[in-house]
Amino acid sequence: MSVNEHPDPGAPIVPGSPLARMLDGYAAPELPAGFAERVLAAAEARPAPLPELRRAPSRSRRWRIGQRIAIGVASFGALATAAAATGLLEQLAITVPSARTVWAGLTGSAQPAGKPVAAVAAAAPAAAAPAAALTPAAVAIEGPIDTPEELGETFRRVDEVRAGRCEERRRVIDQRIASEIERRRAAGLRVPTPEEEARLRERIERQLAAREQRADAAVAARRETMQRKVENGEALTREDLTGRKPPSPETRERFRALRDLPPGERAKAWRDLSPAERRALADALRARRAVRLPPAPAAVPQEDTPPPSE
Amino acid sequence: MNTATDRAPATISAPPPGDDAAWAARLAAREPAALREMIARHGAALHRLAYRMTGDAHEAEDIVQEALLRLWDHAPALAGKHPPGSQAAARLRLGGWLQRVATNLALDRLRRTRRLSGGEVPEEEDNAPLADVVIAAGERDNLARAAVLALPDRQRAAIVLTYYEELPNAEAAEAMDMNIKAFESLLHRARMALRQALAAQGDAP
Repeated sequence: MSVNEHPDPGAPIVPGSPLARMLDGYAAPELPAGFAERVLAAAEARPAPLPELRRAPSRSRRWRIGQRIAIGVASFGALATAAAATGLLEQLAITVPSARTVWAGLTGSAQPAGKPVAAVAAAAPAAAAPAAALTPAAVAIEGPIDTPEELGETFRRVDEVRAGRCEERRRVIDQRIASEIERRRAAGLRVPTPEEEARLRERIERQLAAREQRADAAVAARRETMQRKVENGEALTREDLTGRKPPSPETRERFRALRDLPPGERAKAWRDLSPAERRALADALRARRAVRLPPAPAAVPQEDTPPPSE
Repeated sequence: MNTATDRAPATISAPPPGDDAAWAARLAAREPAALREMIARHGAALHRLAYRMTGDAHEAEDIVQEALLRLWDHAPALAGKHPPGSQAAARLRLGGWLQRVATNLALDRLRRTRRLSGGEVPEEEDNAPLADVVIAAGERDNLARAAVLALPDRQRAAIVLTYYEELPNAEAAEAMDMNIKAFESLLHRARMALRQALAAQGDAP
């Protein structure tokens, strides 16, 4: 009978079958005498086994995976923090929300965007708004300014802005003097001696002080007017605060159109106006300047900047 | 040389539960008497296994010695994992551990020999002069030896473990680091190959 005739060639080998008889013929020899002594001698000469690994083999695979995940998350967090701290994310235009924003998003307590910290009257100087937002106000200004407290708070904010402008003005003057001296030195021209420079600075400072004195007088006069109106229970208007009439929408639009033009085109547009229009615009501009500054007894220094608008 | 009567591992009596853990503890304590006892208990069975895997008595001795020395080396770790009196101690079977080590050592040596020689392991010639009385037995021995050694290594291991050492399939699969289904498939193919070899010899199974 061939293997193909066997009902199941892979069936277990039955003892006594021809295949079993054949396999039983494969006998194994005995272990040689003295084998045990050889093994014992080899065991004695065997070096001591290595110590146990530091990592305990009983630690479960799940914990090892969790440990690697934790290390990976911590590394990623450290790298992300370092990238955010060094400004790398900002360079890559990746927005990182603040913790307050994330918390508000989670809890749903987000403040409506654009809500003003303190509602300033519409007539308040625009430049005073940032200062008011940064400095906690003792008095909240709500609606039109019609109480002495609100008026005092307005004066305080205006004074803050004016002080900042005076300081900036002096810084610009120093910068211009230094750059002019440097330009002359680079061009090989004569530079003023320290005495000449001191005299120049003294003259500029004198004119500056006179200018601020005139502005202070104008401000004091206007503030007296405003205080009287508030004491009478009247609400202040924009004209009361700024000291000038607001330009008409047409005039404002015309100024804006001219201001937005490049200098060459601005001159050409000015020339293209009719004489009546040029005269009207010049009168409006002169009126604005007259309101902004009282008549100056002396020449305005070159380094001067526009006066504070109140 | 033993005859077919050495097929069954009747000489290895099943140790009482936890007994092997005590022996492992003694081996870990570096007692030569414990190693001698292990040689007496398991040496012969390991040698049969190795010899039938390799077909070489000297190679088989080396494999048995190496397996016993590995037991000597790993005894502290085994004793640590299976302290006497614990539940793990009842599961420790040093015989099975040694069979697994010896099987893997034999497979490794066969693989290495084939890689070095670039072909099948040549059947070793027996140059000893044969007496007339053993001619017939020798022919039968050579026939069986050739059939077993012609099997692929893992199929040979499956036949040696289950037929000659009479291990249950589950324990044989464990000794070869296989799952039971894969082992049974391997054993099925080995039996088929043996029956084909026997049919090729002209003897019906």
